[in-house]
Amino acid sequence: MTIVDEVAPGSAAESPWAVETHGLTKRFKDNVAVDGVELLVPRGCAFGYLGPNGAGKTTLIRVLLGLTHADAGSMSLLGYSVPHHRDRALARIGAIVDEPRFHGHLTGRQNLQILAAAREPAARGRIDASLDRVGMAQRGNDKVSKYSMGMRQRLGVAACLLGDPQMLILDEPMNWLDPGGMLEMREMITSLVAEGRTVVLSSHLLDEVERTCDAVAIVDRGKVIRQGPIAGLLADSAFELQIDCSTPDRAGALLAGTPWGAGVEIGPDGLRVGLAPGTDREVVAEVNRLLVEGGVPVYRLQEVHASLESWFLEVTTRLGEQQ
Amino acid sequence: MSITTVADPPIPEPVASMDGGHAIDHRGSWVPNGVMIATRFMELRRRRGLMIALVAVNIGIPTVFLAVRLVAHAVAPHSYAPAGGYDIFTNMVAGVMFIFGFIVAATLGCTAGSIDLTEGMFRHLVVTGRSRLALYLARIPAGLAIILPLVAVGFTIVCAVCAFAAPTQLNYQGVTVPAGLSHSAFETWAGDHADEVICNFNFNGPIVANVPCGNGPGGPGVTVGPGGGPQQETSPSVNRTQAIAMANQDYRDYSEHFLSPSISLMVRSGLWIELYAAIGFLVGVGLASLMGQRTVPVILLIVLEVVLTPLLSQSPIAHLLNLQRALLGLAATHFEPAGLPSAFGGAHNGGIAAASITESTAVAIFVLAGWVVVWTVLGAWRMVTRDA
Repeated sequence: MTIVDEVAPGSAAESPWAVETHGLTKRFKDNVAVDGVELLVPRGCAFGYLGPNGAGKTTLIRVLLGLTHADAGSMSLLGYSVPHHRDRALARIGAIVDEPRFHGHLTGRQNLQILAAAREPAARGRIDASLDRVGMAQRGNDKVSKYSMGMRQRLGVAACLLGDPQMLILDEPMNWLDPGGMLEMREMITSLVAEGRTVVLSSHLLDEVERTCDAVAIVDRGKVIRQGPIAGLLADSAFELQIDCSTPDRAGALLAGTPWGAGVEIGPDGLRVGLAPGTDREVVAEVNRLLVEGGVPVYRLQEVHASLESWFLEVTTRLGEQQ
Repeated sequence: MSITTVADPPIPEPVASMDGGHAIDHRGSWVPNGVMIATRFMELRRRRGLMIALVAVNIGIPTVFLAVRLVAHAVAPHSYAPAGGYDIFTNMVAGVMFIFGFIVAATLGCTAGSIDLTEGMFRHLVVTGRSRLALYLARIPAGLAIILPLVAVGFTIVCAVCAFAAPTQLNYQGVTVPAGLSHSAFETWAGDHADEVICNFNFNGPIVANVPCGNGPGGPGVTVGPGGGPQQETSPSVNRTQAIAMANQDYRDYSEHFLSPSISLMVRSGLWIELYAAIGFLVGVGLASLMGQRTVPVILLIVLEVVLTPLLSQSPIAHLLNLQRALLGLAATHFEPAGLPSAFGGAHNGGIAAASITESTAVAIFVLAGWVVVWTVLGAWRMVTRDA
């Protein structure tokens, strides 16, 4: 095992990264669940950690939080090297991992009292505010055994807030929430980020991540294969141009002789031109000019970029084909 | 087509670090704070089913047993003996409270040692950054704060009934004598019942009084006196002096017939079963924490206490003598107060088992401490090293 303690505690405040890992590896016998992960999560943003089931998302979170040990690599949370300064780092972090489970015979408030007791004294004064923030103030005195899974998820988030954390690490926070709950969770994450906190969330709900996060990392088979801001990542993906015109057939014929002709398709909803990743936007104007000069009236031109979901599937499928 | 990780992701500009106001709060310390202990106490105490079971076993069973005896004696005093008394006390303490106290404590210990894991709270607690050892140690005072008063309540009920509902008289050498008399009170009583005393009490010395022992072995009109035959009855003052002398000689024998436990015996017995309950709790915490579950450790400890220890305590087994000495229960009986029967059914204090499976006080202390330390260390080690 090679765990490198690179980050001095004194540099915590200066570190721009909320999470920083280098070569982080976790094995379960022959299975490498986390495979040399290089991850940089900037402070003050919502960061999505995406991957299919079994990709190693939860394992990475468990390693970061010290719930299980790493086999190799180095990591730091909020500038504190972990596991060496784990207690200092976790004092500033709230996290929920996997299914939210609590003592069922106690009320939500009593469960939070137990967790607050393990934190700094001020945490005990944040119980009511935490319950209120996740919309559980009215149900705080009910036994957890009577809670739905969505309510337990909210209680888990309330537990995260007890420590007034600089960073929240949420494992699949949208699970078990109804549409209204997902919307509230999204708004809460946005508000937490607006307060200057960092929110790292793992999820396989790509649409939710796209709506919530500023940046993402894509993980597959334990490896981070892409990371960066969502807009930047999608800009590298292929996109298409939808053209609404009077004569699609004629327009298709005009474009067939151009460099983009291979991507021309005529469908029931009009003409579509597939464009390679990185294509300059001037191409859109050029297409318009060609059609107009060719006598085809153009009613509408629209760039349609890939969604995070289609991009994710494209990337992971290509990776799977390679392997 | 190759897939490459973005080398330098153009991620959003990081914002300035927040000052969360988190002063260093020593949460890495292995010492649990008072609030942790208090909340852990609350968590255990609010397990209604468990608490009812513990109270039923440790308080309910002895209480019901004694209540039935109280009612039976009240309804038919000639058919049913008084509910309390010395014999009831010693048998209840050694046969019931000692073993039930251990089982109850072990059950609570196993619950305290495993419930965070089985109910999913362990992970929440670990991510607070609090020392895992502190999380483990917080369970010990919290659990002891429950189990020790619980055992004490059950024991107090037994003491109260045995002391206040004890028989008030005993049959001593064929004479019904008030119980618990002091030396002088016994002599006074003997002087007041001179004929009965002279006719029935043993006396090693010359008997100068002559009294008729109407229903005695000599039959009506037969007297007991210096000549052994019919003589003139002696005066009441002579008889009284004779009876007092006999009572004086027999007091040591009389005083060993206890009807109610002494305060000293009750205190020593109480401390003894509390010690054993505390050990049972600590062993339960460690074993359950090591195994990560409650059911199997509880079963193991009950089997140890109810089956293995009584079996192995009965007689020495040549090749297993050291194993027998290492039994927790047997080591605990080394500190059993004198006057109590053996807790595991064998003889005690010079009886068969005690004479055969001997161990010094130092060895008994070592065994008890060993059980506590080994299981506590193993439980703590597992708590610190296990994946959450």
